[in-house]
Amino acid sequence: MRYVIGALLAGLLAVLQVSVMQYVQVLGVAPDLVLILAASWAVVRGQQEATVVVPLAGFLKDLVTSDPLGTSVLGLAPIVLFAAAIRLRAVDTEFIPTVAVVALGSLTYGIISMTVLAITGQTVIWDQAVTRVLLPACLVNALFTPLVYLPVHAFSGQDRSSAIGTRRLTSPL
Amino acid sequence: MRLVWWLPTVVMISAATIFLSEQRALDPVQNLSLTVSAPAAGGLHDAARPVNDFVRGITDRGDITEENRRLREEVEQLQRALALQQDAQQRVRELEDIVEIKQGRPEDQLLAANVIAEDTSGLKRMIAVDRGTGDGLDEGMVVLSRSGSLVGTVSRAYEDFAWVRLITDPDSTVNAQVVPPPSPQPSPASPQPTPTPQPGASPPPTPAPAAPTPSPTPAPSTDESALRGVVEGDLRDELLLDLLPPDHTLPQGSLVSTSGLGGNYPRALLIGSVEAVEQRPQSPFTKATVKPAASLAGLDTVLVLLSFTPARLTEE
Repeated sequence: MRYVIGALLAGLLAVLQVSVMQYVQVLGVAPDLVLILAASWAVVRGQQEATVVVPLAGFLKDLVTSDPLGTSVLGLAPIVLFAAAIRLRAVDTEFIPTVAVVALGSLTYGIISMTVLAITGQTVIWDQAVTRVLLPACLVNALFTPLVYLPVHAFSGQDRSSAIGTRRLTSPL
Repeated sequence: MRLVWWLPTVVMISAATIFLSEQRALDPVQNLSLTVSAPAAGGLHDAARPVNDFVRGITDRGDITEENRRLREEVEQLQRALALQQDAQQRVRELEDIVEIKQGRPEDQLLAANVIAEDTSGLKRMIAVDRGTGDGLDEGMVVLSRSGSLVGTVSRAYEDFAWVRLITDPDSTVNAQVVPPPSPQPSPASPQPTPTPQPGASPPPTPAPAAPTPSPTPAPSTDESALRGVVEGDLRDELLLDLLPPDHTLPQGSLVSTSGLGGNYPRALLIGSVEAVEQRPQSPFTKATVKPAASLAGLDTVLVLLSFTPARLTEE
């Protein structure tokens, strides 16, 4: 069920991305809602779910964009690694690690996308792409993180309390 | 430990999918996904536009007043130019009848398409439209705005949908010509500059506005006066006009249109106007920044030129 919810959410955000987000541009770039979802899910819900939801989100994103199918799956994959690494954190909050993963993920996603575009024969103006797309995207995606993080966190909170409740009910004590 | 296997698996599957996608093997999947998502995407796109217009109206209020005044002046100038052009076209038609010249583009056949999505990755400038190969679209076909200026070309066509590469995309290259604005010459047919209206006097007759048929806008040009170059897109949402001969002055506001060279675009489609010129003594070519004539941000409807077959299609 949680994977279905993850996929539905990713699909919805992918459609929002191509239809509405062109009007929500900050510093010349539109926030990438699917990437923020992938990062939030990976940090909040853990590695096991992330290994399924993140590629699924990437695939759904590719279905509605002009990129070759598979580009976003590849581009979002490092997010799972960042989220796993960031679990060894010193702070007792999930929000700051999520923002960090979003920023790092934006950077790697951009680099991977540009590489795929270049490999598939499309023109990539690297200097402009870095200064006008990649770096602003890190900042803008980090800025928009609460928009996706909070619902994911709330959903996880409900999930966790129901899990704890079940355990208590079935506890042998 | 699990990630050690997960990552190579994802990389391999992605690489295989990208390869298959590039080989067009996954087109039915992408067409199906667009079919499913298009109603929602189109609806959201349409719903968001008025909200965006409203917000922009509030934030850009001062600019809008200034722009409105400038546009009114521009309309007046264009009406004058139109009157001259109509007269010239009539003469050309008469001359063509006399010498029996075959018309290059008798009647353009255009197909309207709604924009349903836009690539927001920032690395490309592309839009998705709700027409595909089933409607007669083919890759490479020329796409115009509602008022007839160049928007881009069909980059990828599925059965029911297509992605259009805008002229501002880094991959877009268009052979272009620049026509310096003609120096104002009084002509018997041309109306004189509008005098200040007297109170109570009837307004001077204005030339009839252009027919609503979105015909491509030909820039007045002769082979002697036009400078040829190449218009390229980049990520600044402007166009770069390159490879212009260095010894010519290029006034700001000169119209840039397609030259027709290469056969991928018909001749004399309006691209935009020169905004700034860059001339360096050591550079063999002059460069210019061009502002696209069509408003490429927030397009809602475009026209696909079906009657023109680009050279890249006939070569295949």
